[in-house]
Amino acid sequence: MPTATSTTATATNTYTTATSGILHRLSSTDQDVKLKALRQLKNQIIGNRTKKLSFLKLGAVPSVAAILAEAVLADDGDRNNSFNKNVIVQSAAVLGSFACGFDAGVQAVLDAGAFPDLLRLLSNLDEKVVDAGARSVKMIYQSKLAPKYDFLQEKNMEFLLSLLNSESETVSGLGASIITHSCKTSVEQKILFDAGILKKLNSLLKGSLSQKDSSLESLATIFKDNPEVVLKFVGSESGRALSSIIELVKDKFARTRLLASLCLIVIRNTSPCYLKDIAIKTKLVNTLLELLGDPGQVGDEASFALSSLIAQKEDMQKLAFENNAIDKLYCHLQKDSLNPRRFEGILLALADMCSKLECCRSRFLSSQVLNSVVDAVAHDSADVRSAACICFKSVARSIQNLSAGSFLTEAVVIPLVRVLDDPSTSVQVAALGVISNIVVDFTARRSIFIRCGGMKQLVQLSKSMDAAIRLNALWALRNLMFQAESKCKEGVFMELTASLLASLICDPEPFVQEQALALVRNLVDGCISSVEYVFAEDGIILDAVGRQLQSALKAEIGIQGMYVLSNVATGEEFHKEAVLNQLIPHAETGAQAYIIKFLQSNDSRLRTAAVWTVVNLTNSLSPGAVDRLEILRGAGIVSQINNMQNDPCLDVKLRVNTALGQFKTLDTCLSHTLFNLSLEASISRVGHIAFIFFAIKAV
Amino acid sequence: MPVRVVESSAPSQVPEAANSGQTSPQACTLLSVGQAFSGTQNVSNLQKEEAWRVNVRIQGCDLEHGYLCGTMEALNVPLADTPVVTFWEGEIVDTKNYAFFTDKWEATSEDDIRHWTKFPSFAPLLNQVEVDGGKSLDLSNYPYIFMRWKEQYFVNVGTDCGLTIAGFYYVCFSCSDGSINGFYYDPNSSPFQKLELKSTSEERSGFSSSSYELQ
Repeated sequence: MPTATSTTATATNTYTTATSGILHRLSSTDQDVKLKALRQLKNQIIGNRTKKLSFLKLGAVPSVAAILAEAVLADDGDRNNSFNKNVIVQSAAVLGSFACGFDAGVQAVLDAGAFPDLLRLLSNLDEKVVDAGARSVKMIYQSKLAPKYDFLQEKNMEFLLSLLNSESETVSGLGASIITHSCKTSVEQKILFDAGILKKLNSLLKGSLSQKDSSLESLATIFKDNPEVVLKFVGSESGRALSSIIELVKDKFARTRLLASLCLIVIRNTSPCYLKDIAIKTKLVNTLLELLGDPGQVGDEASFALSSLIAQKEDMQKLAFENNAIDKLYCHLQKDSLNPRRFEGILLALADMCSKLECCRSRFLSSQVLNSVVDAVAHDSADVRSAACICFKSVARSIQNLSAGSFLTEAVVIPLVRVLDDPSTSVQVAALGVISNIVVDFTARRSIFIRCGGMKQLVQLSKSMDAAIRLNALWALRNLMFQAESKCKEGVFMELTASLLASLICDPEPFVQEQALALVRNLVDGCISSVEYVFAEDGIILDAVGRQLQSALKAEIGIQGMYVLSNVATGEEFHKEAVLNQLIPHAETGAQAYIIKFLQSNDSRLRTAAVWTVVNLTNSLSPGAVDRLEILRGAGIVSQINNMQNDPCLDVKLRVNTALGQFKTLDTCLSHTLFNLSLEASISRVGHIAFIFFAIKAV
Repeated sequence: MPVRVVESSAPSQVPEAANSGQTSPQACTLLSVGQAFSGTQNVSNLQKEEAWRVNVRIQGCDLEHGYLCGTMEALNVPLADTPVVTFWEGEIVDTKNYAFFTDKWEATSEDDIRHWTKFPSFAPLLNQVEVDGGKSLDLSNYPYIFMRWKEQYFVNVGTDCGLTIAGFYYVCFSCSDGSINGFYYDPNSSPFQKLELKSTSEERSGFSSSSYELQ
């Protein structure tokens, strides 16, 4: 409506005028005007991202940086000019405000060259100036864009210690923030420890709220993945240092409780021998579950902390399960208008909860969480979509539910197939992960997936330029082909084609090669006619398998490749001969058969696969087995198998026994045949002599 | 495999894991996912000699947790029009996750010993099992794998089919040839119903296999 538009236009104009007015006054030669403008600017942008951005676009940061630089220079000449100090404090505060939680602001402050001037303020004699400088620099150090602090320089370490030793909580907090931001390597962690920083940080745990929080963050940074430092810290002061962190898990402030929990999680993840006490573990789990209810950033981060506590640790998942973690996470998931970060965190925590234990998956499925997770697969945020897929993937590890075909329904499959087209690669990969699991089918429901276009999508994605997508698409196809009906295999093979499969077997990525070979292994198992797939297009697939086995760098490639050959070798005589031709190099090359290398491998799974291939080739009931045994013997394979009678792996040993039993039967057959042949020859010779005898006699 | 209903079935309980630090059995390719077995279950009683043909297929195997599962198909069940398929879950006796003593499913330790001793391959273990339940045994290199298979639900018929899956099987698997022997135990059914299965290569001349891997 005209009226409304007019009003909006007026408001916008007024706002622009006010904004440019402040900027104009910042360049005033009148110091009072300038100072007032700085104050106005500070008040406008504090906590207001939109205004920060608009002032940023208008070039406010370089103007303020210039004012600061000028005032710092003036302060060097006249240290008693309180007005000038006020300008310094205000300009530093404005720059700090721009940098607070706003990376574009941090970048602008750094680009304007204000950082060295802000650092200089920390050495000023005026407390207010130091405090303003420390606040601003701290804001910058809370961003990833802040310059890395070099702890290896002696004077820098001295400066850092002076910051931590400061009476001012802002300054000591800054020292801690610098550590959190810049300490990345084990060398830096060790240097900080050796310089006595941990002792200092530990004493700050008894300080103000901000000192406690900054110190906890820094401690976690110094401990991370460094068991040596953790050992020294935990052992120091008879364990009192650790106890003080444990105490803070019960602090009255939610953020402190979260940071103390995170610090303990880092210690436990770095050195699992500590914090084994069930009471502490339970306290950690319950604290994090309770913090999920915090409406702010603490609540958003609590689920991520819970994930790092339980990820890959069955005992912790069980403990969390016993403390109703699944129900509590689900309860938070059901809340309306979850912000994407919180949504993502809860989904990832549920994923970790369900990654190993069936009891967790059962609880998850019985509480109807899956419906919410399936809905989240179509969420606006890519991070949430990805987390939903990761969560579903974890639950879909339930073999009981796969066996019951619980996941292969249209309500589940359609959104998953749709998300295979997602613009985000990480979402595509996560979706392929779920699909890889749910297509393991024992109830003939694969057709639902195929009908929804899933199979064709997987084949398309197996041609992707992105290796992670190729790998996961092939993984899904491999699982889809596990014990699949002939018709399903036919459909997949027609879509894939022999030439594409052959090229995937020879993919530059070893993980892709492995999945391609595993897919072929499944394709040629089951109905005997399926063996023919590897002979399509002049045996292009079988040749690719042979070539890949020649150069296999990874045991898993050898294992899957050998099982392809082993499965083909359960076919007709022609199939067995083709396998033998792949195994035995041509005499003129003088090369050793690669199967010898596999039989001598350190990986018992590879030795097993190789022995099975030999067992299948020498199956005593096959007419050509005797001849094949002779060829295998000539290539040194029989003597290698003979040497494996006491293999340390029971499975290998038992298969070797089977092979040797077959060799014996075939050798007996051969000796009978030879005996019969020589008998025939003898009879013939005797006949000949008798003939001569009778002939002579007749003469 | 289901048997005829005599009384209502007892609810199953969640098993508790033993924890003696023993290692799990080594993987045996003949007992891997996708492998099939066929044979019979003798369901004879005093009145009648009877055996049902049975097919088994392994669907899941997690040696670390001593877990195995699959389906069992009974082919000539008199009360059923079609073959009856059940889903079962197995506990592998590895002395880490599961012990020889069942401690549930209405099986006493005497029932356990009475059934396990039916397997000749159990004889060398008997003394130790009597001493400490077999907790100190290292079965990781033993060429036989002892298990309990418990049917969980009917796959293709309703629970009103007149059959019960209340009991469970004591099972002994031979790693050498893939043969399976078992005895069905249900206090309300005929005792010692023997299950005899052989690894099948179906129409193939040798051992064929496929695999899946969960992410």
